[in-house]
Amino acid sequence: MTRFVENTITFPYRRSLGPVLGPFMTALTEKRILGVRDGDRVFVPPMEWDPATGEELARDFVEVGPAGTVESFTWVPEPSAQHPLDRPFAFAFIRLDGATTPLLHAVDAGAPDAMREGLRVAPRWRGARVGRIDDIVCFVPGTNPQVDGDDVGPAAEPVKMMDYVASTTYRNPVPIAADRAVAASREGRLLGHRCPSCGALYAGGRGYCVIDAIEIGPEHEEDLPLAGTITNFVVVTPVQYPGQTETEPFARVFVLLDGTDVVLGWQPTVAVAAADVRVGQRVAAVFADPDEEIEEAGVMGGHFGRLKGWRPSGEPDRNDPDLVNRIY
Amino acid sequence: MKTSKDIAIVGWAQTPMVRRTELTETQMLMRVITDALDPLGLTRADVDFTCLGSCDYITGQAFSFVSNLDAIGAWPPKRDSHVEMDGAWALYEAWLRLQEGDIEIALVTGSGRSSTGDPALIYPMEMDPFFLAPLGADPLTFAALQARAVIAAGIADERRMAETSIRARGKGTVDELLARDYVRAPLRRHDLPPITDGAAAMVLATGERARKLVKRPAYITGFDHRSECHNPGFRPLDDSPSTRIAAREAGLGDGPVEVAELQAAFTHEELLLRHVLGLGEDVRVNPSGGALRQNPIMATGLCRIGHAADHVFGGGRRALAHSTSGPCLQQNLICIVEGRR
Repeated sequence: MTRFVENTITFPYRRSLGPVLGPFMTALTEKRILGVRDGDRVFVPPMEWDPATGEELARDFVEVGPAGTVESFTWVPEPSAQHPLDRPFAFAFIRLDGATTPLLHAVDAGAPDAMREGLRVAPRWRGARVGRIDDIVCFVPGTNPQVDGDDVGPAAEPVKMMDYVASTTYRNPVPIAADRAVAASREGRLLGHRCPSCGALYAGGRGYCVIDAIEIGPEHEEDLPLAGTITNFVVVTPVQYPGQTETEPFARVFVLLDGTDVVLGWQPTVAVAAADVRVGQRVAAVFADPDEEIEEAGVMGGHFGRLKGWRPSGEPDRNDPDLVNRIY
Repeated sequence: MKTSKDIAIVGWAQTPMVRRTELTETQMLMRVITDALDPLGLTRADVDFTCLGSCDYITGQAFSFVSNLDAIGAWPPKRDSHVEMDGAWALYEAWLRLQEGDIEIALVTGSGRSSTGDPALIYPMEMDPFFLAPLGADPLTFAALQARAVIAAGIADERRMAETSIRARGKGTVDELLARDYVRAPLRRHDLPPITDGAAAMVLATGERARKLVKRPAYITGFDHRSECHNPGFRPLDDSPSTRIAAREAGLGDGPVEVAELQAAFTHEELLLRHVLGLGEDVRVNPSGGALRQNPIMATGLCRIGHAADHVFGGGRRALAHSTSGPCLQQNLICIVEGRR
């Protein structure tokens, strides 16, 4: 039975708004909605370029709405966590007064029967506005704009950036070979797979040969040596992006296992300062103690389970200039 | 765009199409590539160029196409490319590449595990980041708004949409289906695509090589794709101008087609595309069941081209395949395949 793992990935995007969307978003904080005029047409949301021809449009801003007319709609009986309202609502194309294109937004109409083409609607503004399209919580039937809660007023400065957090949960199968590699690591073993066709040996529980593109079954497993030589390394000075847990410069090393052609990439080091890591250095595998909490999931380069990293073994360095070319 | 050079589909394969596969995307590709090459007597070493179509956002892994490359076979080295598009667009790139004339065999894949995430939550994050994504504007909402426009234009109605679903899936009667609740009015469950995991692989060959590999290659005689504005609010939703232009440029008007495989994930899309392409009653539309029966995201379009090629392999003369990308048929691709004698 294949095992599945769930993980949630979050992308905190910060986007620049530019010369047209910036003023639009700034105006939203002032409870005003801007379009861009081009001849007889008024685009809402505003565009930098003509959607049909790609010609750059003059930045001829014109205020529209705030009321508008529903042109088309669909009822959302079961809102998702991403939707603007947590109760059933309509998504609608709303032609704001003075605009020639419709804006997609939510209408809080209560029931599907209350929706119809031609319905007049007006925005319900968020009290605290930051310069995003959801400064409009939704539209409501009628022509009088509303404000949700206390109105904290417009933005003090023109809005130039917009944050958007994309977060999603994925559920992935774990290949059996990866699970077996992690299980072996709990016994202090490093599991390898030898391709029955070309003889290439692989670490990390990949379970297939990338040269022959064939899967490698458990009958082709063998234990790999727990000692090797550093062939290459990088010292990373961490930038504190969201999710970065390292605070001090740290090394990632490539280790050529003794008596094999197997190079493990991107391995952590143990009990050695980043500045003391060097090519030719002899190292030995370090596994987590049985009672130690450790992230056993895959890392860059494969599934190594409870292998924590590599410590200097104290043996004399190998002095081989070719080592530095061994990164795979 | 048409071509004077002979480039043909000589074979293709697809994985079993399932709601949730236990295989990784790489494992699916490993198997389906072998399945496409084996019957032709080819190995991975015979392939001169590969192009893979897949989507990191669906896989949930940056550079996921790099691990998919493990399915290609790293030795001998091959020219390689990737599109963050359905495999139909990977095929387009391979078709262009073969026209340079220096290589003979190309391999194309499309792959996706839709079940990895929740499509209802992932697709809104791929929309316009300023005006649509923050509202959670989802694919069902866009499809419903387009369906309303298509119905208002008289191109579809709920009864014909139900009939389209029954033809694709062989399930239920019109009256049964129309008695059910709306998911997003005017769309009901039967108007929506299934969620499918799967992959497809296709082999292209040039001129004489194609004729040596198979008795009846499916020659690609026209291939074109066009795109429209990203915001559905700025488009005529009861029309598909990009489909019309792509079909004209691919030479649809040069002769009749017997079969049309359309990537219509929603019932009203099939009716709209038939209308825009001017397909008469004599054209068999989606005999495979189309995207309403199986919808392996990133491979659905490539499968359409595969089924059109199957029509030619089986003795047919001319078939059309269509693929699409983006909300409300934003971008559309048309591929015409023909047999000779």
